[in-house]
Amino acid sequence: MWICGVAVDRRGSYTRRSVSSTPLNIKLRCGSWQQLANIHRRDLSRHAIFLKAANPPAIGTPVRIDLTLPTESMVVLTGVVAEHVGPGGLGGRGPGVDIKLNTLPESAMWLIETGLASASKQGAAPAPAPGDAAVEDSSDLLEAEAELIAALTSEFASLRKLNPFQVLGVGYEADDDQIRAGFAELTKRYHPDRFTRYTSQELRGLAAEIFILIRDAYRRLGTDALRTRELQLAGARPVIKVPSLRPPAVVGPPAAPAAPVVAPAMAPTAPIPPPRPSPLGSPPPAVIASVPPPPGASSSAEPTVARRPDTERRPLAVAPPPLADDGRVDFRAADGLLDAGRYDEALAVFKIYARKNPHDRVARAGIELAEGLRALAQRDRLEAAQRFEAVLEVDPTNERAARELADMRRMATNERRGLLSRLMGKKE
Amino acid sequence: MASRIIGIDLGTTNSCVAVIDDRGQASVLASPEGERTTPSVVAWPANGGDVLVGTPARRQAVSNPGQTVFGAKRLVGRKVNSDDVAVLAKTAPYRVVAAPNGDAWVRIGPVGRSPQEIASFVLRRLRAIAEAALGEPVTRAIVTVPAYFDEHQRQATRDAGTIAGLDVVRILNEPTAAALAYGAHRVGERRRKIAVFDLGGGTFDISIMSVENGIFEVLATGGDSALGGEDWDRRMVERMADEIFDKSRIDLMQNPVALGRLREACEAAKRALSVERETWLRLPFLAQDQDGQPLNLERRITRDEVEAWTAMELARVDEPCQQTLADAGLTAADLEEVLLVGGMTRWPAVEATVERIFGKKPSKGANPDEVVAMGAAAYAGIVGGDDDGAALLDVTPHDIGIKVGEAGFSVLIARNSMLPVRVRKLFATTSVDQKFVSIELYQGEHGDVRKNRRLGQVVLDGLPPGPAGSIRVELSLTVDVESIMSVTARELSTGKEAGVTLRPSGGLTQREIVEIISRRREEETAAMAQPPTGSGGLTRVPTRDLPPLKRGD
Repeated sequence: MWICGVAVDRRGSYTRRSVSSTPLNIKLRCGSWQQLANIHRRDLSRHAIFLKAANPPAIGTPVRIDLTLPTESMVVLTGVVAEHVGPGGLGGRGPGVDIKLNTLPESAMWLIETGLASASKQGAAPAPAPGDAAVEDSSDLLEAEAELIAALTSEFASLRKLNPFQVLGVGYEADDDQIRAGFAELTKRYHPDRFTRYTSQELRGLAAEIFILIRDAYRRLGTDALRTRELQLAGARPVIKVPSLRPPAVVGPPAAPAAPVVAPAMAPTAPIPPPRPSPLGSPPPAVIASVPPPPGASSSAEPTVARRPDTERRPLAVAPPPLADDGRVDFRAADGLLDAGRYDEALAVFKIYARKNPHDRVARAGIELAEGLRALAQRDRLEAAQRFEAVLEVDPTNERAARELADMRRMATNERRGLLSRLMGKKE
Repeated sequence: MASRIIGIDLGTTNSCVAVIDDRGQASVLASPEGERTTPSVVAWPANGGDVLVGTPARRQAVSNPGQTVFGAKRLVGRKVNSDDVAVLAKTAPYRVVAAPNGDAWVRIGPVGRSPQEIASFVLRRLRAIAEAALGEPVTRAIVTVPAYFDEHQRQATRDAGTIAGLDVVRILNEPTAAALAYGAHRVGERRRKIAVFDLGGGTFDISIMSVENGIFEVLATGGDSALGGEDWDRRMVERMADEIFDKSRIDLMQNPVALGRLREACEAAKRALSVERETWLRLPFLAQDQDGQPLNLERRITRDEVEAWTAMELARVDEPCQQTLADAGLTAADLEEVLLVGGMTRWPAVEATVERIFGKKPSKGANPDEVVAMGAAAYAGIVGGDDDGAALLDVTPHDIGIKVGEAGFSVLIARNSMLPVRVRKLFATTSVDQKFVSIELYQGEHGDVRKNRRLGQVVLDGLPPGPAGSIRVELSLTVDVESIMSVTARELSTGKEAGVTLRPSGGLTQREIVEIISRRREEETAAMAQPPTGSGGLTRVPTRDLPPLKRGD
């Protein structure tokens, strides 16, 4: 059963006709310019359309959307199902599917944009009767609240798994100022006062729960002494038995005596390269391989295999991780690959090592991290989030995963805020 | 549907209402008569007419002192035997009586009125002003209270809002509101410490707070709850009355009407002297001497004179400032800014004193009478909109804990813990085959639990049998942003639970609040049926309309 996107589901009528081997045909009717504006703003501007679906078609299914504008003109859009959005995904809009549009005819965009422009000039003249509009707005608001609850629920679940540093989104060597700044940012986002405007008690209770987590994290990192203790807790925490939660990448008898666990899991000063100042979680551009490695990584030791120009075009033929002088495994090469956005190659490196040492948590964390970053690059945020959480289960000190998660949450909040403020704004 | 949230400064002497306008600026809403602040005075006319609020109530105070209530804020949420109330009860012309639960109420004719109900008249008047100015119904408000208000006083203030038909979405500390209005949270990201010096009509508060990244924390508060602009007025009145007595042997102290006129004139003179160096007191036909000759008061008065008369009052701000600084563990040099709040800070000598105490020029950009209401409105804007410039963190005003043994007090949540907060603690049984545990919650700072205030009790029975100490009960205590506590006790092996939700009490029960609301509705319908007679209804306060007032000065 199909249900259309937020903006269309009540007033818009739709039918679905599925013919084998021909694209899935969906008719979307926009009754008001407001709906169209929503679609335009939220979807078309990123060359995609989100549709609510309980039973989504497989990824890759071709889709044809006949979008009828309030003027009765029709625009044909084609694309493929690109992503299954979990509950609360895509800024709280899920569950549903995100359809990547492969053609967005210029003429169609022109039709839509000029229509919108003239409608807004006339003060939404073709809009439905005011009474109807109010009904729609308030139910939109209710729906927005429901989505917000779903989103906060998943954020709460995700935050609960994190250690205090990760909750606040700060590094293990963070000082008082950074910790206060992290706390302040989260406070402004999650303090129950920020949810006063919603009627839902559940929503406000949820916000309070999240804020309690945040304030406890803040209190636990209040002084140097406390931080040292938390650090030990985070680093010394016994590894969670991963096989029961998630099958290891490769099954097989443990090979050779496993090398001692590499330092990153144990100490904050370990050589995990500092994560790039990430542009708010947006996936790195595909051509990033040609970008010079970040200064933090390049300054460490000699150039590594991965960054040699001659290996750039050999995605999967990667050498096993080299051993450093003291016999420990040197993951800097793989980390460098991750930094360069070459996730497949990094994944291969980690897998090679994990095959040899199935119990090495750094390698296992590396696999999950690489998978997560790759999913993020493909805009599969749900998958990415699950992978990053898995990293933290294996290696609670992994800052990169924690930071990526924090960025994803921040982005989700921003999207949500934009959506809600527009919903609220409509009434004025 | 979310309506606009208004910001209300419910002051001891004057109140003010503000809202965020369409440009996102906080602006004060004036009454249709042009008044930007409303005297916090409520009166029941002697002839039994409708309740008067604001300026009309204040105007008739001299002729109806017993039923004109001002300063009700000092009674809100207080016991009749507390020190502050005792002082007020001695000096106030109205009668302060004890409610059945020991709260301080006011006796009007045959009935006792709770201060919440009295304050609700002021809130309703402010609400009506806002509705008239905005042209839309208003149901939600943020109301400010002094930083030192305890939970009962805060809840009582909420209850006053409820009676006035307002959903009080947040109680805000006055100094925090003032700091918000000054934009203290917008200045840089670094941690700054500031002082808010609030000298109003009847109270003096000093707060030291830290601001960082839009988060405000009150570090220490102090003040003098019986020091304010009214003391300046009273000194002036006493001086004038003495002079008149010396000259013409007329004792104005025996003449309430003349005294009322003199007080108003003195207050006006004080305002004038805040700007000018001298002014005139002119009161023709103020009184008559024994021969029936009229007394026309005409006197030049200078700022220097008034400063000399009130040097004692001014000196009283010194000590609380020093004490509060010490409480916060700071010296004057640590403060980056001192903000002035309250009408009395317009007085040049006050400003000079502040500068002397703190060693820096205080900020006084905004209008000191209105800045608290503006700050409340600003936070209403933040709560209701997308401005994420600030989030105000409330703390628990007292330790919260449980009774252990006979009189022991074990603190679970320490004073000044940020809200919302949750603590969990494990307890073990103390006897063999113990059947139940009883957990009593208290609030206060005393080690002796009997001196603290009891909040409530949770009893968990049906515990499984076992030796002493073998059965574990987990107590979970949550306090939310509205200070509502939920307590759960859970036996760990069986998972059996018992819980209770405790709301802070403002002294009135839910039932009493509902009764007051319905009683008022009845009074109003009765009044509607009978159109007012006599003075043309000039000062009547009808249900929703505003009284047509005449500007007094």
